[in-house]
Amino acid sequence: MSKTVSTSLDRQKAVGKLKQNVRGYAVMTPGIILFSFFVWIPLLYAIVMSFSVTRAANIVGFAGFDNYAELFSLPEFSIAFKNTFIYLGWSLLLGFLLPVVMGLILSEVIHFKGLFRIGIYFPAALAGITVSILFTFLFDPSSAGFLNNILEAMGQEPILWLDDPDMAIPLIVICMTWRGAGSTALIYLAAFNQIDTAYYEAARIDGAGAWSRVVHITLPGIIPSMTVLFVLQVISVMQVFYEPLVMTNGGGADGSSLSLLLLAYNLSFGKSGGGFEMGMGAACMVTLALIIAFLSAVYFALIAFLKKRGYRV
Amino acid sequence: MRKYHFERLKDKQSGILSFVEYRKGGFKLVYGLMVAFLLICLFLSLFPLFFLAVQSFKSVEEITSLEFHFFPENLDLGKIAEVWNSVNLSIYFLNSLLIVVLSVVAAVIFNGLLAYGVSIVKPTGSKIVYLMVLGSYMIPTVLSSIPLFAMLASLKLTSGLWPYAILPLTFGANAFYFINFKNYFDKIPRELVEAMRVDGAGEFTIFFRLVVPLAAPIVGIVAIFAVSASWSDYLLPSLLLTQDSMQTIMVKLVSLQTSRPAGFTDDMMLMCLLLSILPQIVLFLVFEKQITAGGTDGAVKG
Repeated sequence: MSKTVSTSLDRQKAVGKLKQNVRGYAVMTPGIILFSFFVWIPLLYAIVMSFSVTRAANIVGFAGFDNYAELFSLPEFSIAFKNTFIYLGWSLLLGFLLPVVMGLILSEVIHFKGLFRIGIYFPAALAGITVSILFTFLFDPSSAGFLNNILEAMGQEPILWLDDPDMAIPLIVICMTWRGAGSTALIYLAAFNQIDTAYYEAARIDGAGAWSRVVHITLPGIIPSMTVLFVLQVISVMQVFYEPLVMTNGGGADGSSLSLLLLAYNLSFGKSGGGFEMGMGAACMVTLALIIAFLSAVYFALIAFLKKRGYRV
Repeated sequence: MRKYHFERLKDKQSGILSFVEYRKGGFKLVYGLMVAFLLICLFLSLFPLFFLAVQSFKSVEEITSLEFHFFPENLDLGKIAEVWNSVNLSIYFLNSLLIVVLSVVAAVIFNGLLAYGVSIVKPTGSKIVYLMVLGSYMIPTVLSSIPLFAMLASLKLTSGLWPYAILPLTFGANAFYFINFKNYFDKIPRELVEAMRVDGAGEFTIFFRLVVPLAAPIVGIVAIFAVSASWSDYLLPSLLLTQDSMQTIMVKLVSLQTSRPAGFTDDMMLMCLLLSILPQIVLFLVFEKQITAGGTDGAVKG
């Protein structure tokens, strides 16, 4: 008796589960198809292409590691590889601590809060492409450039700006920082605001000065946000693409601002002389993805290690 | 109208420095320096745009002349229409607008439905789908755009009207929007969903009649982000929209910048740039609260 009850219950459950699955996949299928077609399959396709002989956009044969070998022997590759890390260095130098300071001061200043917040976030609301074109004009080496306009008005000699190979990357990083620092500062602002004011009060009553409050309460409070934003910045700067594409017309004549992703684009669409080297372009993208994956793995391992040691990161 | 309430430092309770410090003069100086710092940041944030606005109204001779003055010699508002018509900006604005509208619809419906399935219906295997979407969160769209284009080219989906279906649909597969939806749907009371199911409603009905209205705030945020992202989208559109009359404003801007048509001078380029930025400025000023909050949500807890 009890057995038949349980089997019929089981059956009911199984039917319920089946119904749930049918209903679930009915609503999920369109999304799954789109993610497959636009995200997952293209990534696999990039890996396949990197091992293939390609003609225009078509795969015509198996190439083994030929694309990679050819890519690594390109002089542009070593330039782009080196540049990508130069971008990273400049970006961390100019753009990592600045938002922390901006966020801290935003949280301390009580006047015109809304104005400062909106004004400082504002550049992030603009399209990367338009910002890049805008900064191309700002740093235009001709006398039509905004900054050269001002320099000339002050009786100074115009500067080469983006045409100067030594200045191209720092200037592009300034453009990226201009666009990104404000929105990052607001993330830090939220982190600063989450620190309980009671800690500050208690410390003050115990006689801790302003500086020691910053060191012992504020910094520990935002270090988790800083580590996350650090790795996000590294990942995003490694993929710098639009800015050199627009500002130095594809990386500059001598490749002085060529990045790995831009090289992948140039190779894929025959912008660096030669034909459509989609296979080599894909190899370049896969290489970049592996570098990023490696750096993220190092980051996560380091965080896990420090957490084990009892650090709050 | 509410009068602006001017904060007083001696009332300041929160933060590192409070009224206790501000009784001393030295800290007032520190506060002054902090305000000065923010004013400089504000100036640097807005200055390039002001400069763009004034430069685009100058004539090309004025821009290149050695005699510099900040404001244009004569402010000719007719220049807006002149430049607009000379490059037929209406076409590219309308193209962008069409793609933006379709993208927003795709972003809300497809990411929303997928998140609804993963968060509320939870069929067998939805956990795997969730992890796969999360996994692609870190992968930038630029990295998948080039192989996607190669795929589309070999499938012969790059000609005719195909790009106008494909470009919006790419916004239907966005991990960031999906995560926003999922986190919000997780908080919707299950009883409401169950009640509708008992009444015999299908999942699509529940999604559109119950979940979307309940989740209106997040639908709004995703829609705003999708408007901005779709308006700004460049790489895939530049690869797919090779025919001039089908290009979006971003694609057209870059092609104007890199290969100037005859008679298309720097000042005209600046005016086009200004006009293409205006919709985003308006969008930002109208939805400033949602935009600044949406960007900061996930990262703090990290």
